[in-house]
Amino acid sequence: MRRNKWLGIGAVAISLGLAVSACGTTDNKSGGGSGSKGITANIGVMGALSGANASVVIPSVNGAELALSEWSAKHPDDHIKLVKFDSEGDPAKATPLATKMATDKSFLGLIGPAFSGETRATKSILGGAGLTTISQSATATDLTLEDPSPTFHRVIGYDEIQGAAIAKYIQSVLNAKKVFVVDDSSTYGQPLADKVKSVLGGAVTQSDKAQTGQTDFSAIVSKVKAAKPDAVFYAGYAAEAGPFLKQLRDGGVTAKFIGGDGLYGADFPKAAGSASDGAIVTCPCVPAEKVGGTFAQDYQKKFGEAPGAYAGEGYDAMTIYLKAFESGAKTREAVEKFVDSYEGQGLTKTYKFDEKGDVAAENVVVWSYKVQGGNLVPDQEISLG
Amino acid sequence: MNFHELFAHFGDITVDGLTKGSIYALVALGYTLVYGVLKLINFAHSEVFMVGTWTVLGAYSLVGADEGSGVGILIIATVLGFLLAPLASAGTALAVERIAYRPLRRKNAPPLIFLITAIGCSLVLTETFGQALHAIFGPPFGRAAVSIPSLIPEKEWVNLSWIAISNTQILVIVAAIVMMVALDAFVNRSRLGRGVRAVAQDPDTAALMGVNQDRVIMLIFVLGGAMAGIAAMLYTIRYDITKFDIGFLIGVKAFTAAVLGGIGNLRGALVGGLVLGVVEVYSSTLFSSNWEDVTAFVVLVLVLMFRPTGILGESLAKARA
Repeated sequence: MRRNKWLGIGAVAISLGLAVSACGTTDNKSGGGSGSKGITANIGVMGALSGANASVVIPSVNGAELALSEWSAKHPDDHIKLVKFDSEGDPAKATPLATKMATDKSFLGLIGPAFSGETRATKSILGGAGLTTISQSATATDLTLEDPSPTFHRVIGYDEIQGAAIAKYIQSVLNAKKVFVVDDSSTYGQPLADKVKSVLGGAVTQSDKAQTGQTDFSAIVSKVKAAKPDAVFYAGYAAEAGPFLKQLRDGGVTAKFIGGDGLYGADFPKAAGSASDGAIVTCPCVPAEKVGGTFAQDYQKKFGEAPGAYAGEGYDAMTIYLKAFESGAKTREAVEKFVDSYEGQGLTKTYKFDEKGDVAAENVVVWSYKVQGGNLVPDQEISLG
Repeated sequence: MNFHELFAHFGDITVDGLTKGSIYALVALGYTLVYGVLKLINFAHSEVFMVGTWTVLGAYSLVGADEGSGVGILIIATVLGFLLAPLASAGTALAVERIAYRPLRRKNAPPLIFLITAIGCSLVLTETFGQALHAIFGPPFGRAAVSIPSLIPEKEWVNLSWIAISNTQILVIVAAIVMMVALDAFVNRSRLGRGVRAVAQDPDTAALMGVNQDRVIMLIFVLGGAMAGIAAMLYTIRYDITKFDIGFLIGVKAFTAAVLGGIGNLRGALVGGLVLGVVEVYSSTLFSSNWEDVTAFVVLVLVLMFRPTGILGESLAKARA
């Protein structure tokens, strides 16, 4: 009996541990400056600024910072501040941060949320407060098509488009006749995998599901070994794709490995080690060196590294807000109105949001990248036509 | 339900499960030893394992071992890993006991305080690697997963029509079983081991008989930590990865394995670990990997319904003196 009591306490303690570890860290937050004229406002940026998938998010934050610092140099009377909120990509941690921004009237816009799960969790809070959001990387299809929010916009194409592009790449570039599809059961991975499966049809010989946090993939590896596919597509994030790919290669599987934009960034090659060589990563983001002007050089100079995932998109999102302030918008309503009717050429594409917040499908670009020596090297633009 | 897959590759899948289970079992020993003597569920034990995996990474980079290194360096790095990981893990376990638990014992703190302290230690250790060391040294510390070079290339040693076993699988399973047999013999046959069993049975009487209780408690933390360190080394050989919170899931699974086999029972930890590993891999094959936790805990509940004290039941205290 004594023992049972202890096990009960143990179970309580485990759940307590989970609850405690769910408490997040928040970044600095402050009110606006004290400009005598011009506008004083905060723009929030929320996403996984730390954690296993931070490398997908941080470059876009840097891009936004770069846009702001260039603009501020030309507009000394305006005091716009970029306030960072670290959600670690976790919907549970994103919710209180969103509430904070929604209730603090000094926030006139948000860049983010970066991931689809946290966007889904916070959309109604942010939309209800009338706070405009421009996401640089939340690609889940349902965010706009099934359940649109009045203030949500995004500067990238959604997963339906990316999924179709991936399927196209697998068919026409990799020439794969047998494809094995694995997703991570997340709100991002599952729909992306479903789209790829529906386009590829009979070419998908088998599929399987992993889960976030998994490190042992032996069961999936032996299924892949038995299926002998030409290509393996993984829909999920770097933290799981790294060990999965490594174990695939250890198990003697030589099929081409391809992943979506969840793997875009430095974390994936780092987690997979030398096994990642030759892996393909697609992303609805334009390589920074293909972006016109001096963006890549300016970024390199300011942050001491080459621009990574969604850096140009982060820059573009910030630029749209800054143009709103230039036009004289000083309230949430005015910013929202400006962004909704915004039309213009950004670094990465031409912007004009439809009523659901998406950029027009013909303006979306999807690129494939190849991992070479631990770096993602632009491979080719996947034509969507 | 993929029965075809399960039966077609039954041998391979079982070996995968046993490999996974061996690592659970080694970590489970730490829970079982501490529980057997102190009746304390040491949640910081998962982080003792985590420290071990980082130590392996440190040992490899110390001698500059990489996938392309020469045989000499590979052997030195592997031996160093097998020595340093248990040392670091045992040191961490000992530090947790000296800094956190002993002062509480001195004050006769109620059991719940120990549990909260254990969770606190666990958080402190994960955040040390996830934040503090990252702030001081930068990468590889931090919250991203880090790849560890796989020094031993995977080769199939046994390749029959119904089963294929790789060199690392053999290494993991054999090393785990050797360590457990050694530990079992130590606890059951040596003088110090008798002290451990005496304190587990009746701390006060053991003290009257001249057993130094504090020394026994330190010994079990060191033993459990060393086993977790070996587990960490085997884990990195097999999975080549570490992360600041890598211990959490393994810790929960190992604790489950300890309960499944009968907590407080050393052989139970082995049985529980292997059963859990095999069940997980079977269910991953039958359904998909996102079902493995569900299946594992359903099995746990079923076993505890019919055998409330676990598969082997008998605890360290009741073992023959």
